[in-house]
Amino acid sequence: METFFARYRNLVVLLAVLVVQILGLAMQVHQTDSGRMSMDRHDGRGVRLLRLWAEALVSPPERIFHATSQGIAGLWENYIDLRHVREQNRQLAQTVDRLRLEQAALLEDARQGQRLQGLLHFQEKYIYKTLAAQIIGTSGSPQSHVVYLDKGAAEGLARDMAVITPDGIVGKVREVFPHSAQVLLMNDQTSGAGVILETTRIRGILRGNAAGQPQVVNIMADNRIKPGEKVLTAGGDEIYPRGLPVGVVEKVVPDPERDSYIHVIVKPAVALDRLDEVLVITSTEPRFPPEQQQDMATSETLKGAEVQAEEAQKKASEIMAERLPGLIDPKLPPEQQPLLDSTPPPPVAHTPLPTHPDRFTPGADPAPESSTGNATSQSPNTPQRRNP
Amino acid sequence: MPVLMAHTRRDVEVHRFPMLVYALVPLVALVLQAWLPRVLGRFAWFDLPLVVTVYFALGRQSPIQGTLLGAALGIFQDALTQHAIGINGIAKTVVGFLAASLGVRIDVENHTIRVVLTFLLSLIASVLYVFVFQILLGLSLAWAPLTELLRALGNTVIALVLFPLLDRFKISD
Repeated sequence: METFFARYRNLVVLLAVLVVQILGLAMQVHQTDSGRMSMDRHDGRGVRLLRLWAEALVSPPERIFHATSQGIAGLWENYIDLRHVREQNRQLAQTVDRLRLEQAALLEDARQGQRLQGLLHFQEKYIYKTLAAQIIGTSGSPQSHVVYLDKGAAEGLARDMAVITPDGIVGKVREVFPHSAQVLLMNDQTSGAGVILETTRIRGILRGNAAGQPQVVNIMADNRIKPGEKVLTAGGDEIYPRGLPVGVVEKVVPDPERDSYIHVIVKPAVALDRLDEVLVITSTEPRFPPEQQQDMATSETLKGAEVQAEEAQKKASEIMAERLPGLIDPKLPPEQQPLLDSTPPPPVAHTPLPTHPDRFTPGADPAPESSTGNATSQSPNTPQRRNP
Repeated sequence: MPVLMAHTRRDVEVHRFPMLVYALVPLVALVLQAWLPRVLGRFAWFDLPLVVTVYFALGRQSPIQGTLLGAALGIFQDALTQHAIGINGIAKTVVGFLAASLGVRIDVENHTIRVVLTFLLSLIASVLYVFVFQILLGLSLAWAPLTELLRALGNTVIALVLFPLLDRFKISD
């Protein structure tokens, strides 16, 4: 036995490592009701621990890389500027160099400031509460469209929060760590967002394809869908608020697996591979500006006063009804009380009024002659002799 | 096949490195693999942990070490994704084992052979990844063969530069 293990030691170790991993994989997937295999929605404790370790190991160097790269980029820009100025005027090199350096630094600051200002402006105007975060890294795997944020549970992030920019949606928070968070981008194959086409009002599910392009799936072939049509969030997935821009229809391709179905390839509104800052929607409770809140409070007060007035009126009418002589007949049993009689009253016959009434008209005033005593002996049709 | 085959076990030189290199190089590879796609976008056609696995497995010529290194780096990579942990792990475990097993039989001093092996092992890793994802787990995954080919080429280019650089850290007997 010992010889066997000594001889096949390498293979035994390989098989052991593979078996352990296969068993680990088997514990992370399950079969859905439709018979398909699917990954568990939330990681188990062991898996989460592994992810936490990996993130804790990679995140700090990533932050350093991120900060250093920005510094190097700034230095490089400054260097280019420096050379340019030196060529133009060598005599004023030092002065201009310093000014250029400052200018470049300020320009970079201004650009970042503008970007952040835009984000802040949107954040202030946006109805939901959001938190700004920076992207510090990716998953590193082309099959996994995932990015990491520099904010985590300590800053109030939680799973399934929507991640957006002023241009449109980015993805959703998939995993949260103490000071960072994993975001599943909308162009990942495992992503899913309920969307609606703005003009045709066709609904579908948005997810990524093999090329990393977002596409709307499960749509019946419809020739009304044209490139350029806007795609918005539908709001039914309980992650993305309704009406956020997703992108525009780029093209329509047939579903390779199902006839009469199509895939709508969407050009995202957000440049997903060039993201720097994003907003995470931390609360979907609507947040209104002070003026609007005041308006709403006034409206509520007025509504309350109206209700109170109606109640007072109702009460007064009840008191009046009690004081007025009742229509209840004490001699009759309760079911025959006139007030309780639910049968509709008999219709009132309205006699049509003649346009030009004469003496023959029923109900018309009798003629002066008919008031005499012999009037009864005359037939109504007997012509009357006119007096000259 | 004098170039491909080492004549005897004594002809094969086992590469040794300082402990710091064993610790830092895989870590840097993992960090760069996670960070560089942010800069390069969708043109990040490389897999640095795979290149590092192949390099150390070929140099150390120990299938057990190659297996364990591949498994560790693969699992680490999986932990950074949203996918199940073990998909990359299995792919890189097999690649580490194969590279080390081949390292015993070929002349690992020959740079061309190492680079060609990197290309082939990259393709094997891609096939294994898809196999585990689609066949073993039964999950749906759309993948582009051209992208996998480009990634294998990217790994080869990196190996061309990285292997001679890492050779400088070898401890000579």
